[in-house]
Amino acid sequence: MIYRIRHTTRYDYQAPVDYGVHLAHLVPRPLPGQRVLSAAVEAVPALSWRHDGVDHFGNAVAWLFLDTPHATFEVTMRALVEVAFAPPPEAPLPEARATPPWETVAAAAWRGGAGAWQASEFLFDSPLAGADPAARAYAAACFPPGRPVLAALLDLMGRIRAEFTFRTGVTTTATPIAEVLRRREGVCQDFTHLMISALRSFGLPARYVSGYIRTRPPPGQTRRLGADQSHAWVDAWLGSEHGWVGLDPTNGLIVHDEHVVLGWGRDYDDIAPLRGVILGGGEQSLTVEVELDDAFPPADVAAACPAPGAA
Amino acid sequence: MAHDEMVDGRGGMRPQWRSLLGVLAGLGHEVLAERRTRLERILAEEGVGGLLPGAPPDRWRFDLIPLPLSRAEFAAIEAGLIQRARLLEAVLADVYGPQRLLAEGALPPALVFGNPGFLRPCRLDPQMPEDGLMQIYAADLVRGEDGAWRVLADRTGWTDGLAQALENRRRLGRVLPELFASRQLSPIGPFVEVWQERLQRLLPDRAQDRGSVALLTAGHAHPGWYGHVLLARELSCALVEGGDLTVRDGRLLLKTLRGLKPIGVLLRGGDGRGIDPLELAPDGHGVPGLLGAARGAVRIVNHPGSGFATAPVLAAFLPDLATRLLGEALALPSVPTLWLGDAAAREQVRGAPDRWRLRPAFSARVAPVVADAAPAAWRPALAAAPWRFAATEASPPSAAPCLGATGLEPGPVLIRVFLIADGHGWRAMPGGLGCVPAEGEAFWPASGPILAKDVWVLADMPEAIFGPPASEAPRLEIRRAAGDLPSRVADNFFWFGRYLERLEGGARLLRLTIARTAQPAPAPHELAEINLLADCLTEAGLLDAEAIAGISQTGLAQALLRAAGRGGALHGRLRQAMQVSGQLRDRLTGEMHAVIGRGVRDVEEALGRVAIAHHGEALDSAAQAMARVLAFAATVAGLAAENMVRGGGRLFLDLGRRVERAQAVADELARVLDFPGATEEPARVEHGLRLALELCDSSITYRARYLAVLQPAPVLDLVLADEGNPRGLGYQLAAARALLAEIAGSGDPSLALLAAQLSEEAQAMVRDVAAAPEQARAALLLPARLRALRDAVAELSNGLSRRYFALLPPARRIGS
Repeated sequence: MIYRIRHTTRYDYQAPVDYGVHLAHLVPRPLPGQRVLSAAVEAVPALSWRHDGVDHFGNAVAWLFLDTPHATFEVTMRALVEVAFAPPPEAPLPEARATPPWETVAAAAWRGGAGAWQASEFLFDSPLAGADPAARAYAAACFPPGRPVLAALLDLMGRIRAEFTFRTGVTTTATPIAEVLRRREGVCQDFTHLMISALRSFGLPARYVSGYIRTRPPPGQTRRLGADQSHAWVDAWLGSEHGWVGLDPTNGLIVHDEHVVLGWGRDYDDIAPLRGVILGGGEQSLTVEVELDDAFPPADVAAACPAPGAA
Repeated sequence: MAHDEMVDGRGGMRPQWRSLLGVLAGLGHEVLAERRTRLERILAEEGVGGLLPGAPPDRWRFDLIPLPLSRAEFAAIEAGLIQRARLLEAVLADVYGPQRLLAEGALPPALVFGNPGFLRPCRLDPQMPEDGLMQIYAADLVRGEDGAWRVLADRTGWTDGLAQALENRRRLGRVLPELFASRQLSPIGPFVEVWQERLQRLLPDRAQDRGSVALLTAGHAHPGWYGHVLLARELSCALVEGGDLTVRDGRLLLKTLRGLKPIGVLLRGGDGRGIDPLELAPDGHGVPGLLGAARGAVRIVNHPGSGFATAPVLAAFLPDLATRLLGEALALPSVPTLWLGDAAAREQVRGAPDRWRLRPAFSARVAPVVADAAPAAWRPALAAAPWRFAATEASPPSAAPCLGATGLEPGPVLIRVFLIADGHGWRAMPGGLGCVPAEGEAFWPASGPILAKDVWVLADMPEAIFGPPASEAPRLEIRRAAGDLPSRVADNFFWFGRYLERLEGGARLLRLTIARTAQPAPAPHELAEINLLADCLTEAGLLDAEAIAGISQTGLAQALLRAAGRGGALHGRLRQAMQVSGQLRDRLTGEMHAVIGRGVRDVEEALGRVAIAHHGEALDSAAQAMARVLAFAATVAGLAAENMVRGGGRLFLDLGRRVERAQAVADELARVLDFPGATEEPARVEHGLRLALELCDSSITYRARYLAVLQPAPVLDLVLADEGNPRGLGYQLAAARALLAEIAGSGDPSLALLAAQLSEEAQAMVRDVAAAPEQARAALLLPARLRALRDAVAELSNGLSRRYFALLPPARRIGS
């Protein structure tokens, strides 16, 4: 599946901002199963300086500097991405009952060492997703002793999908997990943090994936929740043999070909699409627009993505 | 039995103590006690807490008795610490690089990923410096009962105390020079020169404008601030705050009066976690984008992520890491340490609770405690996540003689030793800082009072002095102007000047008014004068307009006395001025600071004696107190004129005084020339003129020039136009013009031109009155012009702020 993405973030400031520096995690991450055909980030007004690099988690990151007064700042990412995560043949999803018991996975992550140490990082508390007793209590029924880890994960994802209402505007990035649990509502970020927190409380590595989900659902299916905006879901670790699996608790989906990955971190803070520090500016308002259109005829792809050197 | 530093347990004295003790015995306790008093006075006057009574005292107290170590003993410590520095560098390089230690299982994941000192934005830096993440390293050591030194704490991030060690050595030399007469003592001064040289070499290798070295401080409220001030002075580098710096085009720039100056090496004076609000803690005192700049041309010393290795729990793994990374056995071990993430370690601690002390695994700032005394807040974590904790073996420090109430008394002692990388390897400062810890503890507190000691390393033979290697510092241009002064400092000097003047002017006005209210039966014109003065005081914020509306003369007198007394409005001004001078502590000489501190104490005493109960005495006490305030302001102004280099902050201090006084004089003259009833009967303006002379302290000069004949033009000439009268308006404006011209140098002269116009307007006012057929009537037209002039001066001050100070507004974090 090929998607054309446009993601625009716009700040409108009440008073001119003298100086701003922004950290952008806006470029889709090339992965097995995700080919980035083209990607570009444009800013208005023009940047005074830009620096590109790779963060600790391996995500592309850009530092955007503005040092002349500006009343608005708009960043647009456009990309063309081909996605086909993991269905056969390269890396078939394991049968849930063929995965190891969750305790075995937890013990391997704690030990670290070869094959596990990189996953171990996602065991530990992070500012927005610490192991939370309330989250643990909520998820406890999914984790009876000895249950295969993927079975437990799918059970938990299904419960969150069934028991929580997707509603925008009732939570912010600062809303604590306990509050989300109490309200039984929120957005994809909240459900993702909740699930990560629960998994960490059982000693299971879980990471926060930032990205998008298709705007138009596959034929005959309902519209996906979290479309037309930044989306988030969970990567959970099944042990060194099976690696990571993407689970979208907002839609109750295993990540396959309807999602585009920007990158991942321990929680939202590590991978926020755009965050910055500004001097001056007074009140500000923020607008975000996302479009993810699918199904290009191959000819369009060729036109949109000229061969290298053709530009 | 704790090890004794001085005696060997067989009745003998250790050799390094022999001649030292001889000198101490020769001086006798009385002399030592007297020297201690002298030292305390020096500390009180020069210390950072010496300014405001009631402010927290300087936390560095200092014991006069040094702690000598033999050359051989120190050589062993140095060799051990050099190995540790190499080891910790290798650990940091791996943790922030390939993480082989994790992949091989040599470090449990919790030790890295659970350590809040592991700064993810610092990882996999393409520009990871080849010569290591640490340039300076310090270790706290304790000597156990077996006489062996062990490491209590590795200070791989920012370390307090280097500058204090140098300062203490100097102070000891001042108050107890006898100790140094015949000692073959290793000097510690050259160490700083090597360090300074090293920092110069770290500057980026660019043909032009390599930038300079600066020390980043979180400001005067930070507990380490005094140390920052001292260190910046030792290293002759700029002391800067986050708000002074900005990152542009990948470069780090310091905002100075002459524009933005590049900084090539930034020493950080605090936790690396607060250094960049964009990528790290949003509430730090850092510079947004600094880490981005550090990935390019800017070097941060030590690297922001180096604090990772201060985690106390790492000590449990160092012996194994030394074998693995260096292929060597750890020569200078840590105090035995266990990681409680390990079940066997938990068993071991449970089996011998008396032997072990618990502490957070990742914070070296919290003292270890007996398991039973663990704070309640730790308990849930101890049960659920014991991996967040470490245990260290209880290790009673050795005892060393300290100066007590009646003689030498043994006290526990720890030492801190400093090492720097000089580009070829590590070297230790031959000496260090001793600390007498709290009773029963072996822990160097991260903050709070410290009793410090000078650590001596004795030379077996006259020192081969190691001097700094040939310098490659760029040739300095001769500069005399204030151009490199950080804008924030210039701003502080300007406001220090304004506040001092506000204090002095307030005292003058209060003195004048209080004296008048003492008249038993004032004539109507005298009452009118009192009311005018009360208006001036209200305008100045020293009296509350509503509180004095319609009150009796006695009531007014009491309100005046309250304003003049301790806790009153004038006292508030003193505190305001002192607060700014506190922020300028690093820019004022020790002597000036000491004089200001003493002056403030005197003034506050005098203010405290202002009584409001008995009228006669009260007026007398208030007059005395006001005289004290005026003397204080004169002393500070005189000191500044005699001691401060003109180009530094003094121009701004002067300018602040001139601007403040010009505004006050213009306002007061406008009020008194508006004398009640003068419009109907212009002759009444005479009362206003007399008051004007008094307000400008110019009655005597007037009498000397014109005898007793009071006429508008001559009076106005003296208080408005005469540029030779330091209390008149003309003088302030002329001086401001000259100062602004000097500050601008060859730059934009518009502010000086504006001041010249104002000066000319003051002259024109007097000319107009002198030329008028009826001078008194002409004088009545002046108040409106004077108010306009006052407002123009305020505008000049705003223009000055915009031009030179324009501080960066506070940074705010935003996000999608």
